[in-house]
Amino acid sequence: MKLTKSFIFCVLSILFSIYGQAQDLPIDGKVYDENGLPIPGVSILIKGTSKATVSDFDGNYQIKAASKGTLVFSFIGYSIVEESIKGRTHIEVKLKSESQSLNEVIVVGYGSQKKSVVTGAISSVKAKDLDKVPNGRIEQSLQGRVSGVTIAASSGQPGSNSTVRVRGVTTFAGNDPLWVVDGVVVDAGGIGFLNQSDIESIEVLKDAASAAIYGTRAASGVILVTTKKGKSGKMTVNYNGFIGTSSPEKTLDLLNATQYGALINEKSVAAGGAVVFPNLAALGVGTDWQKAIFNNNATRYSHELSISGGNDVSTFYTSFGIQDQEGIVTSENSKYNKKNFRLNSTHKLSKIFTFGQTFGFAHVKSSGIDANNESNGPLISAINLDPITPLVEMNPTNAYSNPNVIRDANGNPYGISSLVGQGMVNPLAYTQIRLGAFGESNDFVGNTYLEATITKHIKARSTLGGKLGYWDSQIFTPVYYLGATYSVSKNSFSKSQNKSFAWNIENIVTYTNQFGNHNLTVLLGQGSYVDNIGGGSTSKIYGLPITNYRDASFNFDIPQSNRESSTYDLTEHKLTSLFSRINYDYKEKYLFTGIIRRDGSSRFGTNNKFGVFPSFNLGWVVTKEDFWKQNDVLNTLKIRGGYGVVGNDNIGEFRYLSLVNGGYNYSFGNQGAISSGYANLTLDNPDLRWEETSQANIGFESTFFNSLNLTVDLFKKKTSGILRYINIPGYVGVASNPAGNVANMDNKGIEVELGYKKKLGGVNLSVNGNVSYLENKVVYIASDSNYITGDAGYPTIGQVTRTQVGQSYNSFYGFKTAGIFQNQAEINSYTNTSGGLIQPNARPGDFRWVDTDGNGSIDDADKQFLGSNIPKYTFGFTLNLDYKNFDFMVFTQGAAGNKIFQGLRRLDVGDANYQTIALSRWTGEGTSNDYPRLTNNDTNGNFGKMSDFYLEKGDYLRLKLVQLGYSLPSDMISKIGASKLRMYLTAENLFTLTKYTGYDPEIGGGVFGIDKGVYPQARTFMLGVNLQF
Amino acid sequence: MKTIKFKYLFIVIAMISLGSCSEDFVDITPKGSFLSDNYYADEAQATSALVGVYDIIRKNSGSFENMIAVMNAGSDDHYAGGGSATDGEGIQAFSKHRLTSINVLRPFWTDHYQGIFRANTLLLKLPNVAMSDNLKARFAAEAKALRAIYYFNLVRIFKNVPLLLDPLTATNMYNVEQAAPEAVYAQIEKDLLEAIAVLPTTVPVATDGGRLTKCAAQAMLGKVYLYDGKKAEAAAVLAQVNGTPRQANQYGNKLLPNYNDLWVFSNKFNAESLLEVSHTNASNADWWFWGSGMDEGNTLNVMVGVRNYSRTSGSTAADLAPGWSFDVITQDLYDAIKTDPRFGATVFDMKAIKAAGQADYVAGYQDTGYFLNKFMPRNSDKTTGGGAVEINYQQNSYIIRLADTYLMEAEALGSGARAQALLDAVRARVGLPSVPVTLAAIKNERRLELAGEGHRFFDLVRWGDAATKLADRGFVSGKDEIWPIPTSELQGTKLKQNPGYN
Repeated sequence: MKLTKSFIFCVLSILFSIYGQAQDLPIDGKVYDENGLPIPGVSILIKGTSKATVSDFDGNYQIKAASKGTLVFSFIGYSIVEESIKGRTHIEVKLKSESQSLNEVIVVGYGSQKKSVVTGAISSVKAKDLDKVPNGRIEQSLQGRVSGVTIAASSGQPGSNSTVRVRGVTTFAGNDPLWVVDGVVVDAGGIGFLNQSDIESIEVLKDAASAAIYGTRAASGVILVTTKKGKSGKMTVNYNGFIGTSSPEKTLDLLNATQYGALINEKSVAAGGAVVFPNLAALGVGTDWQKAIFNNNATRYSHELSISGGNDVSTFYTSFGIQDQEGIVTSENSKYNKKNFRLNSTHKLSKIFTFGQTFGFAHVKSSGIDANNESNGPLISAINLDPITPLVEMNPTNAYSNPNVIRDANGNPYGISSLVGQGMVNPLAYTQIRLGAFGESNDFVGNTYLEATITKHIKARSTLGGKLGYWDSQIFTPVYYLGATYSVSKNSFSKSQNKSFAWNIENIVTYTNQFGNHNLTVLLGQGSYVDNIGGGSTSKIYGLPITNYRDASFNFDIPQSNRESSTYDLTEHKLTSLFSRINYDYKEKYLFTGIIRRDGSSRFGTNNKFGVFPSFNLGWVVTKEDFWKQNDVLNTLKIRGGYGVVGNDNIGEFRYLSLVNGGYNYSFGNQGAISSGYANLTLDNPDLRWEETSQANIGFESTFFNSLNLTVDLFKKKTSGILRYINIPGYVGVASNPAGNVANMDNKGIEVELGYKKKLGGVNLSVNGNVSYLENKVVYIASDSNYITGDAGYPTIGQVTRTQVGQSYNSFYGFKTAGIFQNQAEINSYTNTSGGLIQPNARPGDFRWVDTDGNGSIDDADKQFLGSNIPKYTFGFTLNLDYKNFDFMVFTQGAAGNKIFQGLRRLDVGDANYQTIALSRWTGEGTSNDYPRLTNNDTNGNFGKMSDFYLEKGDYLRLKLVQLGYSLPSDMISKIGASKLRMYLTAENLFTLTKYTGYDPEIGGGVFGIDKGVYPQARTFMLGVNLQF
Repeated sequence: MKTIKFKYLFIVIAMISLGSCSEDFVDITPKGSFLSDNYYADEAQATSALVGVYDIIRKNSGSFENMIAVMNAGSDDHYAGGGSATDGEGIQAFSKHRLTSINVLRPFWTDHYQGIFRANTLLLKLPNVAMSDNLKARFAAEAKALRAIYYFNLVRIFKNVPLLLDPLTATNMYNVEQAAPEAVYAQIEKDLLEAIAVLPTTVPVATDGGRLTKCAAQAMLGKVYLYDGKKAEAAAVLAQVNGTPRQANQYGNKLLPNYNDLWVFSNKFNAESLLEVSHTNASNADWWFWGSGMDEGNTLNVMVGVRNYSRTSGSTAADLAPGWSFDVITQDLYDAIKTDPRFGATVFDMKAIKAAGQADYVAGYQDTGYFLNKFMPRNSDKTTGGGAVEINYQQNSYIIRLADTYLMEAEALGSGARAQALLDAVRARVGLPSVPVTLAAIKNERRLELAGEGHRFFDLVRWGDAATKLADRGFVSGKDEIWPIPTSELQGTKLKQNPGYN
């Protein structure tokens, strides 16, 4: 009911304003946009007072003000205009939309700059761009909206994060960009606390020369998030809420029981075995496991309320929100609830001093399932389980005699497969045993600053920022029997509690002055940063005298022998920095930015503790030259370029030293006593040094026909001395791999951003698009082998990617197929130079492997590179149409030029189910040239070898958002005192154009595009209301 | 004036925080672990380092890829078994003699080298440890004996292995080459001889059972000599271990009167045991650290257990916990041991028990109905503490026991009265009459006496019988006697793959 109170408050303040204005002049007028169309809802404030009004549907307004006063016109998405009244009683004003405004301001780190003089490659997303995006994770709201940033959701699980790569994969580990929220560094995993509707702007510093101001941690790009601040003037109350329903966009076509039985028979017979299912017809259709796990009506809602306002002394912005979302896969085990609060304020203490603070808090409670895991979880179970096993066994046999089988509400046991085992168990039974598992987090992020305007030219600012995070989880595991190797005979309850704290102090001094046509800003700064302060503990008890997870408690009297606990401390990470930036321009025509930063990191030994990172950028605004004739074709053109170096210390603590760790224990004697053993964890590397990323960038920003913005950037990024754990030979005898500076890698690319705005009759049209092209290549690897494996593996097949000089990072690597042997004659004619058979053990129906090295036999040396997991192209397009009170938006986004490893079927589980593509397998001459025969004795390795058979194109174009909105006419809603009442219908992930045969081609993670049963993105329909006072 | 003061205050604050952020600000010392430079300072730290060397010996029966389970699977006495043809890729591949450099059980290489690294590090640091010289000498002897045991496993399994006696460093680690097997054997023998000179004759069983003794090192040395073809030396040192057959040896060891007592889990460090691997449920081993240095449980037990074993009501069948049906016994061994007094202790005849309606089970992969009774997971041995029940069994396993050294000495001697007496002693213990001592008789006795204890594959290879006995298992003579070197060891190194593998 907060809403009602604020509403009354509003009404009262308006009444008071009217009372106070009795002595003033009545003024009226109209507000237009640049196309001469009236703008409703514009806030008109008398400067220095809290008196304000709002323009009506036709853009008209009336207000009473003193004749010497000033009116301030403001509206979201438009530049603020101030008009001195000077005795006038009728004032018409034209507002310029911000994106076309040259005075748009960009946050650049430790300050902001006019866009027109920015020299770096910085992409920006403003609040108005995010307005129409349903409240969710911040990474998702960036996806497809800025060029040069590849974003792929790690999973469709509610609240799950996304993998964000700025200008490609910069290094081998720790490629997350640096997130800075209101000046506080927040780790990539922790930014889930942000509430999307609190965001004023997001700036992505892509080029090294811009990011260099963040020195050591900027190698993978910097993302600056600025939250909303209050504005002096009328208090604004904004409510935005929606309800929605989610369902899977697609399910896989899997074999039914009869088809499955036939293929299992065929497989067995082909290997000389018996017919497994003599009576196929009796098998029928069988169980649809996917139907059992997917929820076609998963609910979702979001409510956001914000209040902002202020006066000449203080301003504030505060918000409250709640979001709740059920996952589409086994919703009981996959749900997310977030409550958040924010308070930002600024206060003018005196003429000189200003104090400000930001504070955000989020509480999240969630539960989740394995989102992309081949060994466990409902998705991989539903795909691999045989369709013969029933969902619920109505006629239990001996196999169900175990007292711990999980039963449904009617007391019947859930079906247990005797054909498919290991982690692939009945997902409904699995759901039951996971009911008592959930996690919670509480995040507090904020800062306070004191700013002093010492002279007209000198400003100093001290900022203290902090982030405190708590995350807990608890799991009650009942006794269960889901299969022969998947059972627990003693229940347990565990609870873990973790805390981490980070703080930083920054002191900066800025000097700004103008000498004739020379503009100069010099920034000097110092910062100290400490993170990873904290620790956690887990306690676990066994044998609780209960069966229901709801009764789980640590208060039960459990004997000491059934109690376990473990506790850990985090190791602090510290940085100390000095930095400076110079911005200079001549007539805003010739631009220069220079940055230098020196960082010291606790992660390096004395030999290399400090690193210095310089950069510069130059710009030339061609259209400001005298020789440039103003014309209607090319209105503005700025050419800019630069070069910079940034660092990376993302390698973990103490890697330069050899630590002696415990945990290598042994038990002597017959009393069960355990002695603690210690051993060296790894080898020393005192020369471990900073990884450096240098980047050259050149680009231009332009405006054509007063309506088309075009920005193009070209970059080349070189990372040298990449920090990585070296896979050392096992004979060295250390348990853990040492770290080293082992490789160099290049990224180069082109980014194009396009914006177009036009009025066609009564329709306002705006189109935005961006396309990025990226090329990644490893140019040096220090070890003698010239390649590195070990980042993406799969049971039976082994490693599926390899990092090698000349190839893109973690490229797919395996055998290349050249069709299928249709008959023995083809096998016999596939010979080497000496006439021997290249594949002597092959049978008709087996793959013909390409003998890459030409040595006349198929061996590991024939493996070759089969494609990259990194999308070459990423793109996004937004279309906005406004007509009268209706607005319509379409947003599509996609990626192309990458391969996906389709590992949905577990090969090592012989009788796992197949996708229906298996029906088109080779069964005789001429039946198939791309899907081999099925046999239990796959001596040719058709399925057991990593090959291009497992790779598919990852290209996709997704209709991410479609939204239709209707705003009630302002004369209607002004009766209830509202300035805006808009209703909207949104569809998210309506459909995806792709040839990929898995659930979802968008697969994030350390290595993109490894599909082990990824949790797909949900298709959601939402109905929402936006109300503003 | 007031604002000016504010101004200075501001600058002062800034200057202070600037000063506080000097270079020591980013110096952090580790907590919870030690720096190798100043570790190994005193007796307590040296003891911890020695425990770390012992840690690896648990590989005999701890963790999934343990010596006994895997080596059994490659012999003619057992199949890999398990849940399916792909349940444990390495053990399945070895059972079918289809090892490749990729599916080879890499921990058999890496774990042993970790033990060697730890032994080498301790031996390097010991001279500077502040502790008594006697104790230093004993620690060094233990480290050398353990290093010898680890190299012995390596050279038997992989044959061509690097021989490292000092810890490697980041700069020289790629310059290593494989040593000739003869050189490895020579070093093993040297280490053991040096250890024998120092090791204590006995240790207090309650607190130190499992630590190396003179007798254990001698027994190992005898075994090493036998594998190294030095029969005379083997017989000589084993004679010291065995003493007079059927009587206690000089250290008090003798055959247990009852063969079945060898397999009672609580019968740890019994008189017949010369060197055994210690297990306990006290580490509360849990899946997340299964097989790590913190897991002190026996994994072999659950591996060889009967899949889904369930007794019918009123059953008189053994009270067993269910297991994973690895190392099922072949019909061949069954037939060989069927009438032997050791049958009951060796084979859990599930086939008969099921036929009698006493218990039921689910047939795993390669099921024969015969399970390895010596290591059955028993409900009486189930942990009542925390951790996963499956991996907290506490039955110890023998690395070498007196019946083994009796038969090895007999084999080394080949014939004669003493050989006959040694063979007779082993047979008499289980009530079998004397048979004339021949190599064939000794081979047969070894097979039945030591069935399922992980020796058979090595024995077959040593006797040159592997090719015939394992022909139907895919064994290729001249190749499958040893394992391939894991791929990871060949990348960027000077190591060469074993013959026949790529």
